[in-house]
Amino acid sequence: MAESPSRRFLGLIRALLRHKVDFIVVGGVAALLEGAPIVTLDLDVLFDRAPENVVRLLAALQDLHARYRDPAGRHIEPDVEKLATLRMHLLRTDLGPLDVLGVIGSGLTYQDLLGRTLEHDLQGTRVRVLDLAAVIETKEQANRDKDRAALPVLRQTLLLKAGEKENRDR
Amino acid sequence: MAPHRSSAPIVEGSLPADGESPDGVDLTLIQWFLTLTPYERLEYLEDWVAGVAELQNGRVTEP
Repeated sequence: MAESPSRRFLGLIRALLRHKVDFIVVGGVAALLEGAPIVTLDLDVLFDRAPENVVRLLAALQDLHARYRDPAGRHIEPDVEKLATLRMHLLRTDLGPLDVLGVIGSGLTYQDLLGRTLEHDLQGTRVRVLDLAAVIETKEQANRDKDRAALPVLRQTLLLKAGEKENRDR
Repeated sequence: MAPHRSSAPIVEGSLPADGESPDGVDLTLIQWFLTLTPYERLEYLEDWVAGVAELQNGRVTEP
């Protein structure tokens, strides 16, 4: 069933799950799901680079008609070799921009961060999401201008969440 | 992690009078967003993105 264009992010997540890809939602969408009122135009996912998972990922990307967002405008599709060797894959898909990452922050992998995730239930779609504290840490490690720009609202969200939890636990 | 100004947890009911953190973050927006479920937050983003696309597609030409 084709995903409605107005459900791009959920559609991308469901496509990956349909193909049993092991991945973690990171970046802006992770921060948003964790409560930070931010907007982003792309979905960032950190994938397990185990060979069998790379094959599953490629199948999902082929389903989505993914191709690289090439500055020169060339039509380049992902393949197993590229997915296995390159660290970052900035893709266009039928459901919008998808950034598929082998490492994030200071070189952290899927295995490094699996223990820093929560499972969110999105109307029956269960997905692993990097927790907000870890999103903040990876952005601090990346230390690009755009990452630093997002940090104040992420940090304040984390503080407010801690305050709410403190209230609930009283 | 580099130290930042607001280090104490903010307890409900104790937001600054102007609703902003010292570094200018709108805390009332965060407070509202935290009342939504993760799915509602994603829906909000999806609707925002769709709205931007509508604006772009319906761009008015300059006179």
